[in-house]
Amino acid sequence: HIAEDTSDLLQHVKFQSSNFENILTWDGRLESAPDTVYSVQYKTYGEGEWLEKKGCQRITRKSCNLTVETGNLTELYYARVTATDGAGRSATKMTDRFSPLQHTSIKPPDVTCIPKVRSIQMIVHPTYTPIRARNGHQLTLENIFQDLLYRLKLHINHTYQMHFEGKQREFEFVGLTPDTEFRGTIMICIPNLFKESTPYVCQVKTLPDRTWT
Amino acid sequence: QEFQFGPCRVEGVVLQKLWQAFWAMKDIVQAQDNITSVRLLRKEVLHNVSETESCHLIHALLRFYVNTVFKLYHDKAAEFGVLKSFSALANNFFVIVSKLQASQEKMFSTHESARRRFLLFYRAFKQLDRESAVTKAFGEMDILLSWMEKFYQL
Repeated sequence: HIAEDTSDLLQHVKFQSSNFENILTWDGRLESAPDTVYSVQYKTYGEGEWLEKKGCQRITRKSCNLTVETGNLTELYYARVTATDGAGRSATKMTDRFSPLQHTSIKPPDVTCIPKVRSIQMIVHPTYTPIRARNGHQLTLENIFQDLLYRLKLHINHTYQMHFEGKQREFEFVGLTPDTEFRGTIMICIPNLFKESTPYVCQVKTLPDRTWT
Repeated sequence: QEFQFGPCRVEGVVLQKLWQAFWAMKDIVQAQDNITSVRLLRKEVLHNVSETESCHLIHALLRFYVNTVFKLYHDKAAEFGVLKSFSALANNFFVIVSKLQASQEKMFSTHESARRRFLLFYRAFKQLDRESAVTKAFGEMDILLSWMEKFYQL
């Protein structure tokens, strides 16, 4: 009896993670029959048992949110999907070993840019994650990554930029020309794990100088 | 930049370089380990390690990695074409072990509890066939690096 090749039913089973929102995604056959259903299981690396993910059993969509189930930062995880088509053919594929800490990407920070006459203040707001401490408190990225810092740039003109870098959350670019447009970019950096967010961009204009009017 | 394992200090090793080297091999190496139900560096080995205990434990673990895991995995690393990253890690681990050697010899306390933790790891290693054990140990270096990171000061 020659085992039928069902690998076409299911491909690219992997975690997509940003700011610790961990979504399992996969692809089906290109012209995947609408009656193909998918069931998801997950496990902690080192445990024997695979656990069924409630809400992702015999679904037709190709993604499943496993944020809660993969929320322990000291653990590593696997997930696997079983696809079954209308003819009863099935295929199962597993992810690579998933480490939330290593794999999550970082979203741009949330920043308030406050223009003044000769300066621009930038206030970075804490980024809360779905991860909870033992006491139930939601953790921020700063709580999780001890070496997290912010990298700020203010584009003065085509050739000149001002830079700031640090762990604090309030920065002020001073000595600017009143009534002038500036573009600021702010990124989150986690050096030890080579992580860097895409920049938050703010376009602001310094206030007019009315002292002599 | 240095590691501070309790009283034992290790300078001149850049943690980012260790991560960089491991990530270059991680997917290839971990994909070879299909025993998902066994984890060698379990919580009982690495959690709640006291500062003074940490020096003994890291010395025992890294010495085992240098003398056994790296030695036995060398040919596989060559086969997978990751010898450069493999050597970067091996050399750095060797430097850490040598620098730890001197300081941990002067310490007698907390040796026993560190030894018990290492033995948990070692017994789990011995319960697998050699090739699976070496592949698994090598693939778990990110667990080790994550733990070492707690003792790293920029």
